[in-house]
Amino acid sequence: MTAEAAPRARSRMERAGWLFVLPLALVLATGYVWPLFQAGVNSFHPNTPQGIDLGHWTAANYAKLLDPLYQSILERTLRISLIVSAITAVLAYPVAFFIVRLKPKVQPWLILVYVSPWLVNTVVKSFGWSLLLRSNGVINTTLQHLGLIDAPLHLMLNETGVIIALVPGHFMFVLLPLWAAASGLDPNLKWAAGTLGAPPWQIFLRVTLPLTLPSLIAGLVINFTMNMTAFAAPAILGGVRARTVSFLAFQVNLEQLNWPLGGAIAVGLLAFTLAVVWGGQRLAFLAVRSGRTRP
Amino acid sequence: MMRAFNAAMIVVMLAPIVLVVWMSFTPEAFFRVPLDSFSLRWYREALSYPDFVNAFVLSAKLAALAALMATALSFLAAYGLVRYRLVGRGFLLGFFTSPLVVPAVVFGIAMLQFVNRIGLYNDLVGLLFAHVVVVTPYAIRTLHATLQAVPEEMEWAAMVLGATRLRMLSRVTVPLAARGIVTAFLFCFLLSFSEVTMTIFMAGPALQTLPVRIYNYLTDRIDPTVAAVSSLVVLVSLCLVLLANLAGAFKRLPR
Repeated sequence: MTAEAAPRARSRMERAGWLFVLPLALVLATGYVWPLFQAGVNSFHPNTPQGIDLGHWTAANYAKLLDPLYQSILERTLRISLIVSAITAVLAYPVAFFIVRLKPKVQPWLILVYVSPWLVNTVVKSFGWSLLLRSNGVINTTLQHLGLIDAPLHLMLNETGVIIALVPGHFMFVLLPLWAAASGLDPNLKWAAGTLGAPPWQIFLRVTLPLTLPSLIAGLVINFTMNMTAFAAPAILGGVRARTVSFLAFQVNLEQLNWPLGGAIAVGLLAFTLAVVWGGQRLAFLAVRSGRTRP
Repeated sequence: MMRAFNAAMIVVMLAPIVLVVWMSFTPEAFFRVPLDSFSLRWYREALSYPDFVNAFVLSAKLAALAALMATALSFLAAYGLVRYRLVGRGFLLGFFTSPLVVPAVVFGIAMLQFVNRIGLYNDLVGLLFAHVVVVTPYAIRTLHATLQAVPEEMEWAAMVLGATRLRMLSRVTVPLAARGIVTAFLFCFLLSFSEVTMTIFMAGPALQTLPVRIYNYLTDRIDPTVAAVSSLVVLVSLCLVLLANLAGAFKRLPR
């Protein structure tokens, strides 16, 4: 092969490669990029009773997002999501380390149990939770039967219900990376820290936590964004009293049919999600670096 | 103590699902624990309710088509990415997996406005494309990893022996990647079958998939019919998960 023939052969190879990639790229361009772009465009137009007024441009839809009512819904969504992520982080550590100590053959099956809530659709799961959490549900009737409470606890149609349902629903997003990180840990490190006289809590804080922190952050980022945008659990277990952003988006888009405002909500949520993902990646990167340089 | 904690966590994970299945066997018109006797009354009820039956058929059809399309397109794309030195390979892989980052609510809103604009509202084609987009990242990740593990030498050998590229793909590459292809298909089917959020936003009244139908039923009334239907959904999901596990999916979960 001569010197100039090689690049030509390679570019021919490359053209054949594009034929493989192109179909999927085209489907995603039309069925994914274009719709998102269209919603973004719609969000900058005013809404009229006849539909979107494409003749005029405006930023009023974004200004409306700053409305105190919408702000309070956003605050509630953030609060719920943060609480769920925090609870998940605390619960996922012991589970991950329990699983790692089992025989390698058993581990995938147990992981499967923890993944399964995510694989069952959220409407069915939320329905199951409503049977447990209702005022005459399993938990309340059992507690009353045992004489532990007189009146039923308010476990759903409020933020509590949403939190209870979301923790197991999005648990695996933190558990899986933690499990992977925990399996990669050198057991000698803990042993070394132990022989140097470190008590268990100090081993966790100074050895285990720094080494698994990047994976924890990576998992929490996904967990948090999933919490922020969950729909069925807040709709069924939160109701109108604990409306979250996604439920508001549903009302704006499908009940009020205000698509420009709905588009603005979509753009806002997407921008927020991307910011969290980007911030999380930065944080995980810093955690890796500080983990390395720690004396 | 760790064992007890883990057991308690498993109870929390599975409690709602187990309860729904358990309650679906009640002979009564309300939910009460424990059951005194078992009955298939609500299954008969559910199967004679055409809305649920039609929704089940629609969901199965949609999931099969979406999984088939996503797996086929992703196989080709992953093959192109693994075997050819394309400019911007990393970017393309990122682009193909990026729907993962877009929340279902956001994509649902976008699709609702999009299909209305291009006149595909209430049309299966629009919904199908939306489902393909949602499940593609899982197919791409699984197949990209699978094809990287398929030795290129085997393909060279087939070509040297005179096979055309198409013949080589169908007789060598596809069989070698069969496990990954099956896993990808099952995952895509499962995810499409249980997709709720995006579908609730964009599907028109004629395209109520089973989860959407259950959701709408629940906002209206609550009786054990919905428990029976939900149990059937759980059964389908369970079968698919076990199949995927047999295919080795959870040794390398696409995430």
